[in-house]
Amino acid sequence: MHFDPAVLVDYWPLLLQGAWLTLQVAAMALVIGYVAGIAVALIALMPGWLPRLVTGCYVEILRNIPFIIILFVVYYGLPFWGIRLPATLVGTVALALFASAYYAEIVRAAILALPRGQFESARAIGMSPMSAMWHVVAPQILRTLVPPSTNMTLTMMKESSVLSSITVPELTYQSLVVQGNTFAPFEVFAAVASIYWLIAALIAEVSRRLERRVGAVQAEATSRNRIADRYLSLVARRS
Amino acid sequence: MSAAPVLRVSNLTKRFHGVTALDQVYLDVHAGEIVALIGPSGCGKSTLLRCLTWLEQPDDGFIEVAGKPLGRELMPGGVVRRQSRRQIDALRPQVGIVFQQFQLWPHMTALENVVRPQIVVLGRPRAEATRRGTELLTRLGLADRIDRHPHALSGGQKQRVAIARALAMDPALMLFDEPTSALDPELVGEVLAVLRSLAGIGMTMLVVTHEIGFAASLADRIAFMDHGRILEEGPARDIMAAPKEPRLKSFLDLVRTDRRIARTTANPTE
Repeated sequence: MHFDPAVLVDYWPLLLQGAWLTLQVAAMALVIGYVAGIAVALIALMPGWLPRLVTGCYVEILRNIPFIIILFVVYYGLPFWGIRLPATLVGTVALALFASAYYAEIVRAAILALPRGQFESARAIGMSPMSAMWHVVAPQILRTLVPPSTNMTLTMMKESSVLSSITVPELTYQSLVVQGNTFAPFEVFAAVASIYWLIAALIAEVSRRLERRVGAVQAEATSRNRIADRYLSLVARRS
Repeated sequence: MSAAPVLRVSNLTKRFHGVTALDQVYLDVHAGEIVALIGPSGCGKSTLLRCLTWLEQPDDGFIEVAGKPLGRELMPGGVVRRQSRRQIDALRPQVGIVFQQFQLWPHMTALENVVRPQIVVLGRPRAEATRRGTELLTRLGLADRIDRHPHALSGGQKQRVAIARALAMDPALMLFDEPTSALDPELVGEVLAVLRSLAGIGMTMLVVTHEIGFAASLADRIAFMDHGRILEEGPARDIMAAPKEPRLKSFLDLVRTDRRIARTTANPTE
């Protein structure tokens, strides 16, 4: 028995189709999950004990159950209510649900880390809570959001391989198909591992660029002080 | 004075977990008047300002700004009605506050700090808001600083941006929380000049401070607060020269001795 990648030649299109679907599912779950996460975080910060209790339960339940079980509960639970949806849709929603709990905690922590006076000064001048969040809080937490959100997105993308167990034809599912046809599991999974790695590297690169862009805006606002300004102006004059 | 006061506080009470921070506070501030609120730390001065901006909800009592009730109103038949968040937000621009730490928004330039709330809260067009912001910052001596971010400004400059931000909302009343405490001591004169210039244009002000000298040289009236109550109030000169309340006397003695000690240690030959 020897390593023979040539057996994959006929099956590349299948793996690429799977990779493309993985990317699409992860992107959709990122968008839906982040929107839900922001909503949960904002509700969690509302005054009173009830919003905190409800969102706390939401986050705890989703974080303390293995993703594959969440997936099965959603996938096999929906038909109980007479709802039949395509597996890909159900899988994407389950993935978004799973990620939203973590995104919510990331957003909540970032908001809480900002000095309270920032929000209060916006409220005291007459901005509504949403305006204060939008104009004053959000621009200041963008940069702190990027690294932990990237981590979670990478985890979520990798976790999407679990969707193969409900027949979503994403990368892992396709690799199982190819493996069944070629009887060359090592070659197939080595190739699939490389593709996952590529997708992860792509996400990390997008995040790096995003961080640099948001960072550039914020660096101007926060890191420069008068001494640095003076120094920079002297250096600039010289050159 | 016959006209209705710009600020009328009556029976204002605030408790934190059983501790009474404000205990039936009554205070009137009339148009064009500067009132200094003095007292030892923890006496409730800052809590009062937070209640006046509704950042803290008082448990009892009423606040009236320019004749309109804020937060809670008395309906015919003696029913007390809590105002909606929208109603309160609509009144908030009427009360300008300059926080102890200024709380400028670091991601915006000085000008944008002044312009953005006008657009968001008052719905002014950007051009008009910019014109008004530039005019205010120029009047406060910051014409060459309008494009700087707060981190490139000195403490005194930040404070003036914060003042401009509040003034741009055309408030009926300005509140200052310890305007001298976050600045270097030698800037106290500068703050005094800025606040006097506001008085010059007829602005009504309530200034919380624990600097007696500052209060005495700025205010028309002084109110002394301790343990959540206003114990004595009156014209600044009378309060300083002949305090009646024993606690105010001992407070003034204490602060004055402190100052004498500070001066002699700084200047031992004196």
